[in-house]
Amino acid sequence: MNDDTLLMPVVAGRSPASFAGRAPGLLLADTRLRRSGPADPVGTFLTEDLAEHGARFGPRPRGTTDLLDVVDQAGLTGHGGAHVPAALKWRSVLRGQGPLTVIANGAESEPVAGKDGTLLRQRPHLVLDGLEILAESLGAHRAVLWLHGDDEGARRSVERALAERYGVGHEHAARGFQEAMRRAQTVRIEIVSGPSHYLSGEASAIVRALAGGPALPTVRRRSTDPLAARSLVHNVETLARLAIVARGIMAPATRLLTVLATSVHEGRAVVEVPLTTTFASLLEGLGESPPQAVLLGGYGGRWALWQTVADLPVDEAALRRAGTGLGAGVVAPLATGACGVRQTAAVLAYLSSMSARQCGPCVFGLPALAAGMEDLAAGTGGRAVVGTLLADAAVIEGRGACHHPDGATGLVSSAVEVFRVDVEAHLAGRACQHSRRVVLPGLAQ
Amino acid sequence: MRQTAAHAPVRLRVDPLACEGIGLCAQLAGDSVELDRWGYPVIEAQLAAGEVGAARRAVRACPRRALWIEEVDNRR
Repeated sequence: MNDDTLLMPVVAGRSPASFAGRAPGLLLADTRLRRSGPADPVGTFLTEDLAEHGARFGPRPRGTTDLLDVVDQAGLTGHGGAHVPAALKWRSVLRGQGPLTVIANGAESEPVAGKDGTLLRQRPHLVLDGLEILAESLGAHRAVLWLHGDDEGARRSVERALAERYGVGHEHAARGFQEAMRRAQTVRIEIVSGPSHYLSGEASAIVRALAGGPALPTVRRRSTDPLAARSLVHNVETLARLAIVARGIMAPATRLLTVLATSVHEGRAVVEVPLTTTFASLLEGLGESPPQAVLLGGYGGRWALWQTVADLPVDEAALRRAGTGLGAGVVAPLATGACGVRQTAAVLAYLSSMSARQCGPCVFGLPALAAGMEDLAAGTGGRAVVGTLLADAAVIEGRGACHHPDGATGLVSSAVEVFRVDVEAHLAGRACQHSRRVVLPGLAQ
Repeated sequence: MRQTAAHAPVRLRVDPLACEGIGLCAQLAGDSVELDRWGYPVIEAQLAAGEVGAARRAVRACPRRALWIEEVDNRR
């Protein structure tokens, strides 16, 4: 079977030849979404059913602890943004003996992000395979697929896939599958929809919610009780990759990216590109002109000057060596003509509004950062505002229960550096050279 | 509470959810705790041997039970 036909990019402006000849990947096809919100495609809805999935990948192998070595050797890392080696999480869990919950995190919180939602719509069985393999490997008592409450498209896709697997209305197709599941004593996957809040995709918030608490981040003091309840959260793309490497196949050397169009009249593209793809060729392939700067990793990410990243590959390891990173794979280019300081002020106001309001450094620090950047954007802050912003960012860093404040601090420090010329103009009280419009989606003007 | 060996590097930790910025810790363990401009503790990465006693007093004194001392974990 020739998989290339399935990988024909459907994104306009991108020629099928540009990435021709690549190996089968995670997505059925690149897709186009609206500028923010759930990953419902504009145009064709592609999804792979259980029969197609089985034909393409063969039967799902049973998960055992031996897989730890495979995961280690494959260098599988977390694709939710932190890129923590998966084997590290597995080892941490294997040190305990308490009841274990494994969680597939499909709650993409970044307003621009759409790759996990796209994967769940196109390839639900690959993600479910990964979650079942994880549950079997570590002996989980509960397996949960966690979604944002407003992501109805992902929920429908996964519900349909689970119905196929568990034989509801598909008794014939799923019979062999069910028998294998019974033999392996695999726990049945539950779908749980959390709130649609920015922080309800945060790992500790999910664990807290599944234990009956609110879906808000928390700090866990290290337990000395070997029978304490355990949990492991993997991003859905990480699990899709686990489902591939567990079959003894090399995980595709690709990256799923959500790329925002610079024009406010266009949406987002979710693409799967080889790790060697540079930012320049990525944007060129999507028909975009070179921007002035690019926001890497989304609203909790960092700005970079276009000329400093244009020739870098999208490979996270290479980006980290260059002192940057793409988090969960969000690329938001900023067109020449838009004000970076204004965008940053709007993003900080958003991040501040999305605080869980639990930790002092976040409760007080984020509004201070947002107000300082707003002063700078409005030209009302005086020369001291930049120094205060950087000092506040430095003192807040790393002091929340979760990394939400750290996203804001990285945004502040990178904006001051990348938009140095704009910052000077604002400080000098000159009218901003650029348009004052907020072009990034999901933010107040 | 679990006893930590005298030679193992330890650190003072704060649960930022429990902390209400009362500030007793900075008074009792001023060498290892400073307060930010909103009154919340900023704690140094690792306790020097001479700072552990004061840090333990801060842990006991915290009205919100937000502080604890743990071994520095190099595994992750």
